[in-house]
Amino acid sequence: MNRTFSKLALWAFLALLVALFLGYFITRVLPDYLPAGRAVPPRLGDLVFYACAAATVAGAAGVAFSRNIVWSCIGLLIALLGTAALYVFLSADFLAVAQLLVYIGGVLVLILFAVMLTNRIGEVNVSNQSLGLGGGLAVFAAVAPLLMLVAVLVPWPVRPPGPMAPTTARIGDEFLSTWLLPFEVASVVLLATLVGAVVMARKELKAD
Amino acid sequence: MAPYQPKSDPKWLVALTLAVALTVPFLFPVLILLSMPLAEPSGGGVTLALRWLGNVLGTDLSGPVAHDVGTAVVLLLIAFLFINFGAIFSGICVWWERRIAGRMQSRIGPNRQGLGGFLVWVADAVKFLLKEDLVPAEADSLLFRIAPYFVLTGFALTFVVLPFGHSVVMADLNVGVFYITSVTALVVVGILISGWSSNSKWALFGGMRSAAQVVSYEIPAGLAVFVPVLMAGSLSMQDIIRAQGAAPWDWFIFRNPAALVAFFVLFTSQLAEANRTPFDLPEAESELVAGYLSEYSGFRFALFFMSEFGNIWVMSALATTLFFGGWQVPGMPAAAISALKGTGAWWGWQLVSMAVFAVKTLLLANVVIWLRWTLPRIRIDQMMTLSWKYLVPIGFVCLIFTLFWQLGVGAAPGLELASGVALSVGALFVVIAFFRRVFKNVTDVRGDAIDLSNW
Amino acid sequence: MSKLILRRAGHTGEEMLLNFGPQHPSTHGVINFIVDTDGEVMKKAIPDVGYLHRSIEKIGEVTGYPGFMPYTDRIDYVAAMFANEGYAIAVEKLLKVEVPARAQYLRAASCELCRIASHLVSVGTMATDIGATTPLVHALRERERINDLIEALCGARLTYNYHRIGGVAFDMPTGWKDQVLAFLDHFESMLTEFDRLITYNEIYLKRLGSVAVIPRELAIDYGLVGPNLRGSGVDWDLRRDAPYGAYKDFKFDVPVGKGLAGTVGDAFDRYHVRILEMKQSSLIVRQALERMPEGEIMAKVQRKPKPEAGEALSRVESARGEMAYYVVSDGTDKAYRVRARTGSYLAMGIIEDISPGMMIADLVALIASLDVVAPEIDR
Repeated sequence: MNRTFSKLALWAFLALLVALFLGYFITRVLPDYLPAGRAVPPRLGDLVFYACAAATVAGAAGVAFSRNIVWSCIGLLIALLGTAALYVFLSADFLAVAQLLVYIGGVLVLILFAVMLTNRIGEVNVSNQSLGLGGGLAVFAAVAPLLMLVAVLVPWPVRPPGPMAPTTARIGDEFLSTWLLPFEVASVVLLATLVGAVVMARKELKAD
Repeated sequence: MAPYQPKSDPKWLVALTLAVALTVPFLFPVLILLSMPLAEPSGGGVTLALRWLGNVLGTDLSGPVAHDVGTAVVLLLIAFLFINFGAIFSGICVWWERRIAGRMQSRIGPNRQGLGGFLVWVADAVKFLLKEDLVPAEADSLLFRIAPYFVLTGFALTFVVLPFGHSVVMADLNVGVFYITSVTALVVVGILISGWSSNSKWALFGGMRSAAQVVSYEIPAGLAVFVPVLMAGSLSMQDIIRAQGAAPWDWFIFRNPAALVAFFVLFTSQLAEANRTPFDLPEAESELVAGYLSEYSGFRFALFFMSEFGNIWVMSALATTLFFGGWQVPGMPAAAISALKGTGAWWGWQLVSMAVFAVKTLLLANVVIWLRWTLPRIRIDQMMTLSWKYLVPIGFVCLIFTLFWQLGVGAAPGLELASGVALSVGALFVVIAFFRRVFKNVTDVRGDAIDLSNW
Repeated sequence: MSKLILRRAGHTGEEMLLNFGPQHPSTHGVINFIVDTDGEVMKKAIPDVGYLHRSIEKIGEVTGYPGFMPYTDRIDYVAAMFANEGYAIAVEKLLKVEVPARAQYLRAASCELCRIASHLVSVGTMATDIGATTPLVHALRERERINDLIEALCGARLTYNYHRIGGVAFDMPTGWKDQVLAFLDHFESMLTEFDRLITYNEIYLKRLGSVAVIPRELAIDYGLVGPNLRGSGVDWDLRRDAPYGAYKDFKFDVPVGKGLAGTVGDAFDRYHVRILEMKQSSLIVRQALERMPEGEIMAKVQRKPKPEAGEALSRVESARGEMAYYVVSDGTDKAYRVRARTGSYLAMGIIEDISPGMMIADLVALIASLDVVAPEIDR
């Protein structure tokens, strides 16, 4: 009984997501390509963009819905890769590569690593029990309208696509001039995390 | 009974084999060089090609759709060439490594298929293709199947920014070095997934060891990479090479004492990231059977091996770019080559620069191979200690020293030249002393003279 | 059986249980270790033996005395000379036969060549287990030459059946002495090269130093023998302390572990004792060949000997340490009981005791440093 209900809820949720996406696509995106009633074929870059965006959404859905925790990690990988690709479309080359390095090289590998350190990982069929489906739906109901409102109502600044310009030097300059204080505060936070990690690891050793 | 006399091929046949072995992989960069004009960022090459094709076919191919399709075809062609360079280089590298191992271990090595056994890598590849693609019954079959492609992708993506010559580079990204260190992360993901999905304890151990190793050594590698980046003031691979010169005292490795140290930090870390001896813990045969490769067979196993041996090129080429002056041709500055653009001489200098780069890279690749057949394997706690307690602090010291060094160079530009000359002369002496020592050791044990008889 | 072993391991379910063998490159189908691991660190490694049991001792009761000699080769096929010699000496004691002096010297020379061959396999495979592949091939190359020499002596390369009750089977062929001396000249310089290649390699020292330490008392308690015992600092060698055969005539040193790479009794000490012993064996072979007396190579022994009822114990210093044969005769032409006491079996016992807290890579170093040969465990 409970199982059927959660399955139904899951499918309903998925259908809602797809409907939202399609609705957004048809009302907001398609009109740009149909300026005077004549269909303009999408360019190569557009196709790649939509492929990346779709992969990001699909990956994110995979993280949430996969019953297998390693598959969730793969979904996260796809979502992060897609995000990096979207950064490239925004001419943010440094940010894209930093996304790859930090999130895939660091965070994702550590997550996979941590997952594999868990108990009974020797068995392949470890499942990711999607607990609290009801709670998840509640959170979704609370957050989704807000996100949609923001997406639709905020007057996003639109720039015509320009040639890719190197951003690395500018990012560096900004970090060390305008945004020096936040930058340093962030590093202090990271330092505190590092020290905290060391302290926690030491405590465990002492307990042994 | 007469002692066994190995079959001896004439010297010219040996030379011919070696020449072919060295040339075959580099046919691909030459083809890439030829297709470079098509891939110019502005798309001019594609437009011209389409116009020509349209004239031949008698249709108008100037529309945006045709242009997009043309661009995609050109990009696919170049990607195809690069991947084939990686595949064929790793194939030939397997053969070369086996021959070197044979000589180092006083045995013969593969010598049947073709001259000097040169075709053995083709035979290996065919064998891999024909073998059964075995998936263990209890494995997560889909992940097990896709894991090799993660590894292959991580490996192939590095070729996007790796230079081959003065103008032979797929894309000179302005975050090139940063890009290389980040895409190799996909290799780790692939190895971790293969280790887990095999549903074998040995494979799981191998995957865990590999992840721990790569995550640890990415940090010293990153720190060491920043030394030449600081010296060149750019993250672009080509800019870093242009900031160096052709002569040894113009190379970054000698222009700054910290860069000399940083090179060894980088080289060690790269060995660890490529799972090469003495850091071959993830596939340690005597401990973990074959680590994450335990359950793989057939073509998927070949994919792992292709990226592993192809990584020898990647790591050597990266070190050559960052520290050894890349493709800089002696007596011909980079700007002078650029000025020749459009003439026949430009093509010639491109080839010369590619040859210079290849020779440097292959020398480093030989060091990698030589280490593998000499050193034992280190233990996992020693591997961690080496990274976190030695290489990371050394990397930080190098980085900070370089910052001050660059300030010093700004004040006294002669500093770099002085350091370059002093360190390169010192390196020369070390190399001479090394060869004298090797010669003495060989004569001490009345070892065999250098001969090519077992070819 | 496996459930019994599991209970002994105190398996709680938190650890990962690893079957280290029998299908594993390091145990090549003949041994199994049941390993309880917590990540890379072992809680315990329990040897599970018996994969190569062929009832050799029982065979000794159904074949005649000379007929059992080829079977002794199979007790330790890496160093078969010693297994031959031990059995021959035991039966000679039962028969009260005096072995001619030339045969004694031939036995010593062939045994010491065999010791070099066996130690070469041991140090070579040890380097391979630590991850260096080249030393094994170099060691096997030298062993091939020894195999050639022994083949010239007795016609066999692995299972020699050379020592017989009352002497040896064949005399030296012509020119054999010069061939052996030429090989030893070459081999001694190769030992230096081997040291340069691997013994003093920094990584190798770090991998073996202070790893798998067997303290002196523990080694004695577990009855370790040979290089494993001497590696723990116990100065005991039958060839010097209870000489048999021709050994009282030779001068040689007994290398003892000194803790060069860390602690006395670590894996490196056991390895290094073997390296040093090869040099000493080479000296003994030289002395034996130079002082070789003329004369018979076989004592008068019946074709089907029938010793008086009684028992005999012989002890020889094998490549793997003290090897003892206990033969009981009931007066017929077949032994009532043949028992072999071997070094590898004793060495396996200690693994369970010193494995807790070691890493998986160290287990490989431990097994390799004990120089265990599977048929010696399962007779």
